[in-house]
Amino acid sequence: MKKSRTAKLFSFSWRDFAIFVGIMFSSTGLCWLMRMLDNSGEFATLIYVMAVLLISRLTNGFLFGLAASVLGVVFVNFLFTYPYQEFNFTIAGYPLTFLTMLVVSIMTCTLTAQIKQQEKLRLENEKEKMRANLLRSVSHDIRTPLTSIVGATSTILENPDSLSVQEKRKLMEDVRDEAQWLIRVVENLLSITRINGEQTQITTEPEAAEEVLGEAVRKFRKRFPDITVHVGAPDSLLMVNMDPILIEQVLANLLENAVIHGGNTTSVQVSVSQEGNWARFDIQDNGRGIPPNKLNTLFDGTLHHSEDTSGDKKRNMGLGLTVCTSIVHAHGGTMEAANSPEGGAILTFRLPMHEEENI
Amino acid sequence: MTIRDKILIVEDEQSIARFISAILGANGYETLQAQTGTEALSIISSNCPDLVILDLGLPDMDGIEILRDLRSWSSLPVVVVSARSHEKDKVAALDMGADDYLTKPFGTDELLARVRTAIRHTRTVSGNDEVARQGTYTVGDMVIDYNKHQVLINGENAKLTLSEFRIVALLGKFAGKVLTYDYIIRELWGPRAGNDNQILRVNMANIRRKIEKNPAEPQYIFTEVGVGYRMAEGE
Repeated sequence: MKKSRTAKLFSFSWRDFAIFVGIMFSSTGLCWLMRMLDNSGEFATLIYVMAVLLISRLTNGFLFGLAASVLGVVFVNFLFTYPYQEFNFTIAGYPLTFLTMLVVSIMTCTLTAQIKQQEKLRLENEKEKMRANLLRSVSHDIRTPLTSIVGATSTILENPDSLSVQEKRKLMEDVRDEAQWLIRVVENLLSITRINGEQTQITTEPEAAEEVLGEAVRKFRKRFPDITVHVGAPDSLLMVNMDPILIEQVLANLLENAVIHGGNTTSVQVSVSQEGNWARFDIQDNGRGIPPNKLNTLFDGTLHHSEDTSGDKKRNMGLGLTVCTSIVHAHGGTMEAANSPEGGAILTFRLPMHEEENI
Repeated sequence: MTIRDKILIVEDEQSIARFISAILGANGYETLQAQTGTEALSIISSNCPDLVILDLGLPDMDGIEILRDLRSWSSLPVVVVSARSHEKDKVAALDMGADDYLTKPFGTDELLARVRTAIRHTRTVSGNDEVARQGTYTVGDMVIDYNKHQVLINGENAKLTLSEFRIVALLGKFAGKVLTYDYIIRELWGPRAGNDNQILRVNMANIRRKIEKNPAEPQYIFTEVGVGYRMAEGE
């Protein structure tokens, strides 16, 4: 344990070594240049202090920081203090120079290590929070429909005679709707397993954006036949690097959210367009929009329960949106939400594309 | 009294086999059931069903094995039903000779549509009755004229290039059936064309701009994302 800690404090890596050599070399070079202009040599100490500071900040552990401070003192003494090319440890203030560099190096190294540690902790915390939120939202999304399915089917089975045909039919319709909701939850979970942690890269291929969009819209129409959908695509074919199944999932989620959380949505407008080096997808509805207090926290994994006042269905949009954000980020894209001036929400995501892929 | 089409359901999950059997029975088909691959193969050879609905995850063997075995001696239509949702699995089953692929969970109307299409395709030699009889295929406002090598939209020539026409013609011949990217490429550009489907995508984008009202909302040629294309079926 102790050994590994020491090893960490004095860890060696070629990257750090390169930084060390690079900075020492250039500061020495700078000193040479300066000496040609001004023979006093006083600047040398300052330049090396700066080099020590930079090296301590940019490398891991104490090794190179300390090495830089020792080497810095040696260089100042040997190269840039009279008599040149000779050691002279009797110069006044020399111990002070040495001490200054040492302290600068140790303090910077310690601070750097602390900052890095904190950053790591913060990231881990965030990931943990995301995961917990996701689990919570999934449990919620699954438990509610299951309750309704078990309840409705038991009611029918246990009361074969006392229920009217209409009542039975209504209950069965609920069962079907709830089961369909569960299917979508599972589809989202499957998408997450496809992204699969932070290391595994998703496999992308150039795909025609209009095809993926068209397919998502076709399925959406089947599910919500009463909603008018307007689809817009550019005149020229837009080929975008993506995992088409995942992007279809994003579009499906956003379209569904537009209806379920839009409240009174009757029409949705979906479009894809090119914006510089980005393919931009917009999903705009004519619902009541996103509450302003939620706009900022929409994509951070916080749970958002739909405050449907009429609401028998308090479905939360945590899972769907979390999945969308993860997928888009895994593609190197960005996602944002806004309310349109006419009312209704606009969800936008952008995927990076390369110039040569436009045909 | 017409002779009813006989459908074999190969599925080890009782609840799923039961509902498929019920919905097919209610729509005028006669059904048989098998729970294992061996049982399925023996029923196929003894009962000669008109169609097989095949689940890929069976207790004794992989459904793909059954498909391979079956395809070595029969062209009996097979609709694969599977919980494997990755498009690679779909492509594998289709390339192995499955006529269609349904991912669990699927809707009953979807199941019936695929069954109808698959049975219809075996009734005619070329896969499409209308094409065989008249040399044309009509769906909505589109007519594919196989003799004149033209596609007409509302009676007007859509002016497809030769390779564009060949893609539409191929899809029309197997209307209602999904054709994988690789299959289309092999059929049109030969086995050595490779797996690069970019050229197909570009051609399809051009075709859609000529025949569809809105290329992002196709009415005639649908995309099966990650798998291939499917031509709409006429009435």
